[in-house]
Amino acid sequence: MRLPSRRQTRRLLVLGLPLAVIAGLILGPLLITLAVSVVEKRGFWISPTFTLDSYRLFFTGVRIEVLERSFWVALSSTALMLLIAYPIAYLVTLRVRPELTRAFLFLFAVPFLVNYIVRTFAWADILSRTGFVNSLLLRIGLIEQPLDSLLFSDFAVYLGLVTAYMPFMIFPIWLSLSGIDRRLLEASWVLGEPPLTTFWRVTLPLSLPGVFAAAIFGFAGSFGEVAVSLILGGTGYQLLGNAIASALDVLNYPLAAAISTVATGLMLALLIVWYQLFDVRLFLGKIMGRA
Amino acid sequence: MKKNGRVPPLSRRQVLQAGTVFGVGAGLVGRGRLVPPALAAGRTLTIADVGVGDPGGDWSPFEEPTGNQANLVSIGNAPSAVINQLIAGGGLTTFDVINIVGGMQKPLVDNDLILELDPGRLSNWKSNTYIEQYLAAGTPGFQFIGYEDRIYGVPTVLQGDSFAYLPQETGDLDSYAALFDPRFKGFVALEDNYTTAGQKTALFLKHSGQAEIADPADMTPEEVRTVIDFLVEHKKAGQFRVIWSSFEQAVNLITSKEVHVIDCWEPMVFVARDQGHDVVYAAPKEGYLLWAMAAYVVNNPERSEEDLNATYDLLDFMLGPWYGAKITLLRGYMTNPMAPEYARSHPKEFSAEEAARIAEITEGVQRKFEQGGTWQNRWPTHVDVYEEEWQRFKAA
Repeated sequence: MRLPSRRQTRRLLVLGLPLAVIAGLILGPLLITLAVSVVEKRGFWISPTFTLDSYRLFFTGVRIEVLERSFWVALSSTALMLLIAYPIAYLVTLRVRPELTRAFLFLFAVPFLVNYIVRTFAWADILSRTGFVNSLLLRIGLIEQPLDSLLFSDFAVYLGLVTAYMPFMIFPIWLSLSGIDRRLLEASWVLGEPPLTTFWRVTLPLSLPGVFAAAIFGFAGSFGEVAVSLILGGTGYQLLGNAIASALDVLNYPLAAAISTVATGLMLALLIVWYQLFDVRLFLGKIMGRA
Repeated sequence: MKKNGRVPPLSRRQVLQAGTVFGVGAGLVGRGRLVPPALAAGRTLTIADVGVGDPGGDWSPFEEPTGNQANLVSIGNAPSAVINQLIAGGGLTTFDVINIVGGMQKPLVDNDLILELDPGRLSNWKSNTYIEQYLAAGTPGFQFIGYEDRIYGVPTVLQGDSFAYLPQETGDLDSYAALFDPRFKGFVALEDNYTTAGQKTALFLKHSGQAEIADPADMTPEEVRTVIDFLVEHKKAGQFRVIWSSFEQAVNLITSKEVHVIDCWEPMVFVARDQGHDVVYAAPKEGYLLWAMAAYVVNNPERSEEDLNATYDLLDFMLGPWYGAKITLLRGYMTNPMAPEYARSHPKEFSAEEAARIAEITEGVQRKFEQGGTWQNRWPTHVDVYEEEWQRFKAA
């Protein structure tokens, strides 16, 4: 067997060491969480006795409904976010002058200068019975009583999620769209296809890796959300993050770990689907400017 | 110095000698064995507090006579926050005192996180007649300072909670029934806490005969389910606007009139009134949710005897009249019986208006204790059932 050369060893260390550190920092906590999820809770402590009691409690108790709701809210809010983010990314990519692209993208990053909890509280103020929206609607005579459903409702939660995560989704979609060879679009037009068909048969399929990446960002954020549901949801609008926090409140670490493991497992499944459906190297290549 | 003005260079021997002396000296200073007596008393005591125990940042009445410093740090009030900070957060070796809502002695003592108190080392202990009056052994109040007939905590605050309302919107209210009154449907908020909102609901159901509950402070699993069934029924009917979880959120709910009736703490009403809003803290006929805060000595394994002495000095100060008067004035809670008189007789430290306010607050809380109600239980026997059932309420 040939020993690696000094150059190869050096290359392995330079590339492998950071990767090993990052893998350790990510995988380590995940493995600890998994381990804690299958041990027995005893008072404040845990006993290293293997048990699936925490998973049993999770899947047979009320928290399974929280999981179902979290999944549905994350899925539907992600779809909504895509419907908003895609047209914005499309316009920025194909309709905005290249010299203005950076400025437009920067505008979508500006909200993140403000902490997202502060932004969420601001929505609570704007949507309240005496808030800006109700006051305006009352003043112009569109309504006679304040609209109760603006705040502490599904509407408020979806609004909070969309404004929190949608701007994140614009960037991967823009990246994907900007990586499409324009000659392909021109060829479609030259061959007589109308714009809508060009979009359906050329633009959209080629942008799907970015769309899926954006969906991952949006879904992951919404699925584990805590603050938006707490501040805008009203009477105990529980999402998975809230259920984990509440398990920790009574020091039930195995249960919190079990819920976290289930959530992580679901996200992993989505990532595997992404990996199977799309050539990730192609998408990453576009990020690194090699496409 | 030589005649030509130049300083001669140090020899290697001189450098080594100087370095040795410096190093030994630094070590002795670091171990506290070579310091002037004045500096030796300068200990810094760390108090982990839930946001109530700070006397406006001024600890000088404690620091000047003792030469020690008080360092206040923030800790959450939830049982998990307290335990997590002590066990996983390094609090055992960094905190000297934790000042929290009492009632958690069982988990704290069972896990060796706090020390038993020696009241004989506290000169203000006997002067605090509230201890015998409200927190005596064998009474429900004892659970806020003691456990299994032993004393662990120094009482720093006493209070009775009920709910607040906007009289212009609701008229006068004198019962927890207001929280469930269909007239206020959609204009009611509850605290996200089963030991407050849940226990007040239990008190109401027991008092009104709608449920058989032996002790609202420590319910059986069946009783907890009955209370939660009641809450779920009202939640589904749209009775509650929101379940709040922070001080600022609760104040905002009242001042913006998002809700008209809210299960909350009295300091929120004071803040709302300071902002010019007409808010009343109810005197419900069912009684109050009574509770006390206590300062506990953390079982720090690295503490020296001198540090423990300094800690007792701090606890005695927190039992004292100046501290009590300050906290009553700042937070609106009753502290100790010496506080009102101290404020009255020290016009340079407390204005006549402040002294009157302290007396008014103290009398108000005393009336609450005279009426009674139920003592809050922070760690009920079936706490896991409480948690599961509260989840059911929130998920409904």
